[in-house]
Amino acid sequence: MELTVAAELPWRDAIPPVRRDPDETGRAMTEVSEGRAGTTRQRLIAAASRQFARRSYSMVSLDDILAEAELTKGAMYFHFPSKQALALAIIDDLSEMSRTAVTELLAHRMSGLETLVDFFYLRAVQDTQYELARAGVRLLETLDDTTAVPSTLWQSWIEFVTTLTQKAIAEGDFINQYDPEDIAKILVALWVGMRRISDPEKPELYLDNLQKALILTLPSFTDPDRIGYFTQFIKRRHTVAVKKVSAEALSPDLHTTALSAPTDP
Amino acid sequence: MVPQARSEITRQKILNAAIDLFSEVGYAAAGLGEIIDRAGMTKGALYHHFDSKEALATAVIEQGTKLTRDAFHRVCESSSPALENMIHGVFVVTNLVVTDKTARTAEQLTRGLADFNDAASQVWSGRLDAMTTQASRASTEGDLQEGLDPSAVSESILNAMLGAQLLTRTEDGDDHIKKLTRSLELLLPAIAVDTSLGYFREFLARESLRHPPGNPSTD
Repeated sequence: MELTVAAELPWRDAIPPVRRDPDETGRAMTEVSEGRAGTTRQRLIAAASRQFARRSYSMVSLDDILAEAELTKGAMYFHFPSKQALALAIIDDLSEMSRTAVTELLAHRMSGLETLVDFFYLRAVQDTQYELARAGVRLLETLDDTTAVPSTLWQSWIEFVTTLTQKAIAEGDFINQYDPEDIAKILVALWVGMRRISDPEKPELYLDNLQKALILTLPSFTDPDRIGYFTQFIKRRHTVAVKKVSAEALSPDLHTTALSAPTDP
Repeated sequence: MVPQARSEITRQKILNAAIDLFSEVGYAAAGLGEIIDRAGMTKGALYHHFDSKEALATAVIEQGTKLTRDAFHRVCESSSPALENMIHGVFVVTNLVVTDKTARTAEQLTRGLADFNDAASQVWSGRLDAMTTQASRASTEGDLQEGLDPSAVSESILNAMLGAQLLTRTEDGDDHIKKLTRSLELLLPAIAVDTSLGYFREFLARESLRHPPGNPSTD
């Protein structure tokens, strides 16, 4: 078995930047999730994320978002010309979050299949902890008909998982019998689907569904001698992830934190 | 060119020459004159940046151990179980020592100067702290045997890493990884709870394959 380092993967090609607006205020929400009210742009993104995370795109009006953000229309139009522009900005931030996650994962230099499982768990934890991630994945479904962004993003995830699948085959963890891209499509669809049918208010249940799905599915492509190891590997990540989501509640909306935080007397 | 950038390049040239010479003949036998010749610099340039041979050694130690410290830190940032991080971390550090000349020279200097040089003596206490943080977490995750002291576990694992360094000729990266693997194979049953042992044995076996035999780099 020859294991090559994960850092050799062409991840930069695998997940291209989708964002069109790389200015400093456009950073992913993870970097600003603490304390301060942040910029107007961040407040708008946070308010829109809260709205889109809970209701469908068409049900959310700009007035809802502005009321949530406690901003005027004028302030919004300065940053976003439309509701769709806001939605696309959320997806941009989500894809930036994914890219950061991938970079960190590859720096761990684990095998292809280990990296793959870690990727699903890392994203699953992000989905339960950030409104932005929750809203982003919902928006991807809704915006499908009107823009090319969702299909670009799905495709980039499939391509990334394909590179990991190819690596897993080369390392002997996956049997060399199927097209890596077919396996990648199944795994991405499985993850997205599990996410869709799980109640976002119950992260433990979502993680539980994900664990079962992975343990049931992986044996179809995994070398029989290694199924035991990977079942354990998945269970261990599951335990760590459950601990993480129960310890850290959903990252609160930015401006609510700033406004409702009790002021010191 | 900006003067500051040029000064930094000069400093790094001197440092690289020192790393070369220290790794070839050892710290004691390395002369400042030879370092100046190799760097193609003047005595004045060297003394501008480093006031003694020990200051050079300190700079090499700081630069090399930053590489290993950052690598270990990146491993521990992951969402993996802590005992995995501990095993994976010592392999990642060892792999750097095998393949990276700066990291390797820094290790040699750290071992030789530990009693005399502050930078050198702090390296291992820093590593012990980082490892103990993981061991404490591994204990709460239920992977460590009951009643074990996390800092004692960390010491044993670092002893294995340091021992493998000392027992291996620097040219033989393959042997270095093998020695580390064997020590950890023996340590694991004393550290891991019985229910986790099988899994971690397999994790360790994969780990040693993850770091294929590498020859030390020459540049």
